[in-house]
Amino acid sequence: MTLRTVLRNERRLLAADPALRIALAVFAVLFVYALVNGMAWERFQERTVEAARTGNAERTRALEQELAAIEAGGRPSSPFSDPRAPNVLGGARGAHTAALEPGPLTALAVGQSDLLPYYYDVSIYTNESSFQQNGEVENPLNLMVGRFDLAFVTVYLLPLLVLALSFNVLSEEREQGTLALTLSQPVSARDVVSAKLAFRALLVVGLAAGVSLLGILATGGASFGRVLLWCGTVILYALFWFALAAWVNSLRRSSAWNATVLVGAWLVLVVVLPAAINIAAGLLHPLPSRVEMITAQREASNDAVNRRSELLARYLEDHPEMASGVVADEPGLGALAWAATDAVNGRLEEVTAVHDARRAEQLALVRRYRFLSPALLAQEVLIDAAGTGDARFARFQSQVRTFADEWRQFFVPAILADERMNAGILPDVPTFRFVDEEPGDVARRTAVPLLFLGGLVVLMSVGAGVGLGRVRGAN
Amino acid sequence: MSEVLTMDAPSASEAAAPAPVLEARALSKRYGDVEAVAGLDLRVGPSEIYCLLGPNGAGKTTTIHLFLGFIEPTGGSVHVTGLDVAAEPLESKRRLAYIPEQVMLYRNLSGLENLEYFAALGGRGSLAPQRLTDILVGAGLPPAAVRRRVSEYSKGMRQKVGVAIAIAKEADALLLDEPTSGLDPQASNEFSELLASLRDRGVAVLMATHDLFRAKESGTRVGIMRHGRLVTELSTDEIGHADLERIYLEHMHE
Repeated sequence: MTLRTVLRNERRLLAADPALRIALAVFAVLFVYALVNGMAWERFQERTVEAARTGNAERTRALEQELAAIEAGGRPSSPFSDPRAPNVLGGARGAHTAALEPGPLTALAVGQSDLLPYYYDVSIYTNESSFQQNGEVENPLNLMVGRFDLAFVTVYLLPLLVLALSFNVLSEEREQGTLALTLSQPVSARDVVSAKLAFRALLVVGLAAGVSLLGILATGGASFGRVLLWCGTVILYALFWFALAAWVNSLRRSSAWNATVLVGAWLVLVVVLPAAINIAAGLLHPLPSRVEMITAQREASNDAVNRRSELLARYLEDHPEMASGVVADEPGLGALAWAATDAVNGRLEEVTAVHDARRAEQLALVRRYRFLSPALLAQEVLIDAAGTGDARFARFQSQVRTFADEWRQFFVPAILADERMNAGILPDVPTFRFVDEEPGDVARRTAVPLLFLGGLVVLMSVGAGVGLGRVRGAN
Repeated sequence: MSEVLTMDAPSASEAAAPAPVLEARALSKRYGDVEAVAGLDLRVGPSEIYCLLGPNGAGKTTTIHLFLGFIEPTGGSVHVTGLDVAAEPLESKRRLAYIPEQVMLYRNLSGLENLEYFAALGGRGSLAPQRLTDILVGAGLPPAAVRRRVSEYSKGMRQKVGVAIAIAKEADALLLDEPTSGLDPQASNEFSELLASLRDRGVAVLMATHDLFRAKESGTRVGIMRHGRLVTELSTDEIGHADLERIYLEHMHE
C-alpha cells in the first residue's frame, strides 16, 4: 500500500518538476546517440570483415585463373611473382585475411574493437611483428573511454543521472518540511525512501535497459545469455549508485552535503581511480620501447641476410629431415630465403616475448586493482558481454597464430624442397574460421566482478537500511 | 462541514468512564544536561481539548514529538489509546493526526494531490476526488484553490490542507503544535470552530500554544508547563480569561 501510494506521488512529483524531466530527456538523447554511434561502428566492422572475405575469394580466383593459364602454356604475369612458387602462393599474393566478426553486442559496447586489430593478413611471412604492428602500446583501458557508446554512457554518465535523481531523496523531504507530515503517518522513513528510490530506479533502469534492448533488436544475433548479462550488469551498476545515494541520505545530512559527497564519489570511483590504476600500471610495468623492438627486428634481418649460408647450415642442422632435398653449398633460392626469414622470426620472438610479458604484468595489475572501482568492474563485464573485450580478441589472435603455423606447415616444406605448385592445390590451402567462445567462458570470467559488485550493493543497502531505520523524526 | 467529519462518537459507557486517548507516564527527555521534559504525567480523554501552555523551551513541542515517536523518551512512556508508542510506533501513529506549526506540503502538487497522498499514507486508502475536495472545502480551503499548486497558497491555506489531512485520517487523537501562530483572527476563529466540531466527534486534542485567549476559548483543560514540568492544570470552565493570564504569569515569575 505504502509502495503504491508513494509511487503514484513520485510520478506526480516528477511530472511537475521540469528540471528532472529535462535531465531524463537529455539522457534519453545521449543514450540514443550512443546507440547510433555504436551501431555505426558495428556496420563499419561488418563491412570490413565482408571486404576481407571477398578479398580472399578474389585472390584465390585470380591465382586459380593464372595457374590454369600457365598450365595451358601461358607465362606468369611476372617472373618474380610466379604463383607456382610456394613462397609466392603462400606469400603476399596468396595471403589469406583472417577476420573477426564483430562481437554479438558490438553496437552497445565498441569496447576494444576499435583499438585491437580484428583482421590479419596471414602468409608465410606472418611473424610476431605482424601481431605487434597494430597493437596499442598504451594501456587500452586508457583509450577505451574514447568511443561514445552505450557502455560509456552507462558506466561514466548514468551514475550522474542516478545521483541527480536520488541525492536528496530523504534530505529534500526534510528541508522542504514534508517529512514531518510523512512521518506522522503510520509509515517508516525506510519504507518511504525505498519506495521513492524504487520509482527512480525503475525510470533509470527502464531508460538504460530499454535503449539497450532497442539496440539488441535492431542489430540482432546476440544470445539470450549475453543480453541477460548486459541488462543484469546495467541494472546492478545503477543499483550500486542508488544504494550509495541511499546510504549517504541515511546519514541525515543536508542535500548540499549529500550532493558534494556523491559527486566526489563519482569523481573518485569513475574518473580518478581508473586513471590512477592505469598510470600506476604504466609506471610499475613500463612497456619496452617499440622503437627498440623495430630496431632489433632490423638488426636481426640484416644479420640474417649477411650470414645466410651460415644460417642455412644451422637451419639444416636443426632440421636434418629437410637436408636430403637441399644441397648445402648450392641451396635453392626459396629455401635460403626461408632460412633467413625463420632466423628473423626466432629473434623477433625473443624480443616480443619481453614486450608481451610486460604487457601481461600491466594487465594483471589493472585486473587486480579494478576491484577498487565499480566503474571498471561494470565496464569490464559490459564489454565482455558485448564480445568486444580483451579475452575475445586474445582468443582471435591465438587462433590466428595457430592458423599462421598451419599455413607455414603447408607451404614451408614445399619451399625447402623447391617444389612447384599448381591450381589443384588451391582447395587444400588452409582457410581461417574463428571459433567463438562458449557462453560458459564469458560467465566464468564475469562471475567474480559481478558477485563483487552485487556484494557492494547488498552491503550499502544494508547500511542504508540500518541508517534509515533510525530516522524517526523530521530533524 | 459536519458531513465530512465522520468520526464515531464515543458510546455512552466510554463517555462515562473515559480511558485516556493520550497518556504520558513519568515521561522525561534529556538532551545532555538539559531536561526538556521532566517526569510529565498527562492524560487527555476523548472529547477533551487539552492546551499545553508555556514559554519557549518549556517542553511543549518535545512532548508532542514524544507522542508521535519522533524522539525516544529517556524515561517513562507515552501511550496512544493504550498502545505504547515505543513498542508499536506505526500502530500508534495510525491513531494520531498531527498538524505541525508550519504545514509544509509538496509545492509542485495541488492541495488535492497532497491530501490524497497523505490520506493514503495515513491508511485511509484511496478516497474519491469528490470526497477529498469536500474535506478540503470543509476545512476552509476556497474551492477554487483545491486544484491549484500549493506554491501559490498562503500560510493559512497550507494550514487548512494540514487540517484536512488530519480530518481525513479519522484519528482518535489530534496533536497540534502552535496551530494558530501566524493566522489572522478570522482564520484563528474558524480553527476554534473546527476544534469544537472534532471534540463533538470524540476526538482527543492535545495542542501546544502560546495563545492564552485561544486556549481559554477552545480548550476544555489547560496545562501550564515550565522547565519540562507540568506546573498546574486547570479546567477552562472554572476560570475566566483574566484568571488564566494571571495564573500563567504567576507561574512564569516563580
